[in-house]
Amino acid sequence: MKELEEIKDILIEMKNLSSLMIDLAFSSVMYNSEDIADEVYILEDKVDDLTLKVKKLALNAAKYEENPDKLLSIIEMATINEQISDSAYEIADLVLRDVEPHPIIRKIMHDVEEEIGRVKVNEGSILIGQTLKQLKLPTKIGVKILAIKRGTRYIYNPSKDEEIKEGDILIAVGSGIDRLRELSNEVEEEGEMFEEEEEE
Amino acid sequence: MEDIEEFEYEPRSVKELFIEMKNIVELMVDLAYSSILFGDKEIAEEVLDLEERMDLLNYQMMVHAVLAARNVKEAEKVTSILQMANAIEDISNAAGDLAKMVLEGLEPHPVIKEAILESEEIIAKITVTPNSILAGKTLGELKLASNTGVWIIAVRRGKRWIFAPDKDFRIKPLDVLIGRGTHTSIEHLKEIARGVIRVVGHERA
Repeated sequence: MKELEEIKDILIEMKNLSSLMIDLAFSSVMYNSEDIADEVYILEDKVDDLTLKVKKLALNAAKYEENPDKLLSIIEMATINEQISDSAYEIADLVLRDVEPHPIIRKIMHDVEEEIGRVKVNEGSILIGQTLKQLKLPTKIGVKILAIKRGTRYIYNPSKDEEIKEGDILIAVGSGIDRLRELSNEVEEEGEMFEEEEEE
Repeated sequence: MEDIEEFEYEPRSVKELFIEMKNIVELMVDLAYSSILFGDKEIAEEVLDLEERMDLLNYQMMVHAVLAARNVKEAEKVTSILQMANAIEDISNAAGDLAKMVLEGLEPHPVIKEAILESEEIIAKITVTPNSILAGKTLGELKLASNTGVWIIAVRRGKRWIFAPDKDFRIKPLDVLIGRGTHTSIEHLKEIARGVIRVVGHERA
């Protein structure tokens, strides 16, 4: 049945996204990163859409299913995933809120030089076409890639064989984020006007 | 509410609490999916036990929050801590709900299992054969997470379950590892566990 195929694909995506969101939400607090909290916000929206979509599909599929009760588990699963995504957003929201965080929250945030960031891979970057294995980013520039956003897709915990493509957005953590920005040609592309503004 | 009555305030740093809550909540979600995938009630029970542990940690976090407010202005800031504690608890409850699907015998539709199996990160059972290089080594020696990309979230030894094994945990022959990782990394670890591949990082058979 066509619906079931679609349901499966959406459930896969929802599971991937909710794991990614938990990770990013905690990271946004630990690294006090509005950038990452923003990403969680975008993902929450996406999960809401998917939840509604999968529930509609399940209801539709019930027409053909011999035992429609079984589809309940799909609706339950979607609801739970949506709860996880909502809660992840609540955590990330701490960073987005305009309230100055309590010193206690500050204590949670990393005191080290590590930071987290989104870096776009632009045309001409030497990263393009290389696998993570070839690049050895953690040892060479002290950066670990948590996820790659490619178009509307997220690759969570990318494997060593994942090849970086032009236009990828790398969500990375470490002490060498600035170096990663240089390697991905971000500074040149964005123009100088942003550069000074963004420095803290 | 028994837990709370027994609870004694121990001054742990908020950061420690936060990290433990983060780790437990992630473990809970992984285990909850595993329980559905394998239809395993014992794993599901463990999720519920962890949910209780989370309640306790959450309570400690709230005590921190209350102690931190000395005036209205600080109380406002403290709401952010409560918001976070609540959100973490909600995730833990969600994982508990997944586990309850298994305990209450709500038969999952076959597409759910298929979806769990086809996610980017999958969960798999890996049996360690006696001649595998894994047998007799600790997780710390093997550095499985960095060497193979697979996180061991639980181990089944005979009839016993060991959840969230630490780096001193020593793998024994016939242990069943429950690992989380990408398809390729899981396949790789399976070959190692079967004794086909004889090298893990610097460890050689």
